[in-house]
Amino acid sequence: MDEDAEELKDYSEDGVDLTLVRWFLSLTPAERLAYLEQHSGDILEIRRLNGLR
Amino acid sequence: MASAKIRPALRLFFESGVDFIVVGGVAAVLHGAPVDTFDLHIVPARNDENLLRLLDLLESLEAIFRIQPSRRLKPDMSHLRSTGHKNLLTRLGPLDVLGSIGRGLSYDDLLPHSTEMDIGDGVRVRVLDLETIVAIKEELRSEKDLAVLPLLRRTLEEKRRRS
Repeated sequence: MDEDAEELKDYSEDGVDLTLVRWFLSLTPAERLAYLEQHSGDILEIRRLNGLR
Repeated sequence: MASAKIRPALRLFFESGVDFIVVGGVAAVLHGAPVDTFDLHIVPARNDENLLRLLDLLESLEAIFRIQPSRRLKPDMSHLRSTGHKNLLTRLGPLDVLGSIGRGLSYDDLLPHSTEMDIGDGVRVRVLDLETIVAIKEELRSEKDLAVLPLLRRTLEEKRRRS
């Protein structure tokens, strides 16, 4: 498969979302860390709002 | 429950002069793998001078062992000298201080397999290579490791394709 065709694949054969991987790789390390903090903080906040611990 | 403050924690580590390597999920994220993780894993250099700096830092972070938070057990030098895992809770979130990882790999073993990364605001931290993270998980093959391996492998492939 040439590189362009590989770019068009959404998922790998083992089910990994390659679009997500490519998007995350497009960020800088600082941006990746900021996203992780925001993301995990949001999940914990939603759990708290729903009375989950 | 408050969310983990990973960047502030890494800034304090950087400013403290503690020699350490970021490993685990946060290391994978820094390399571009979109994995979820809620705690910071580090492997410190285990010489006494470094561990004393680490102990001071842990004191300032109000670190206690997570296993029985109500007892508020604090780590001491004997804990830090051990090769085991110290699963701590700090005022900036969960922090695992690992004496070794994989099949007994220490800071000195991991150092050649790590790179320094800029994580913003002039803070630079040493991070375990994605290749080594994958290799360790392939060797350990726990269910948790096997679950995340496809994502780590594809991230590694994408990185290699781009370089």
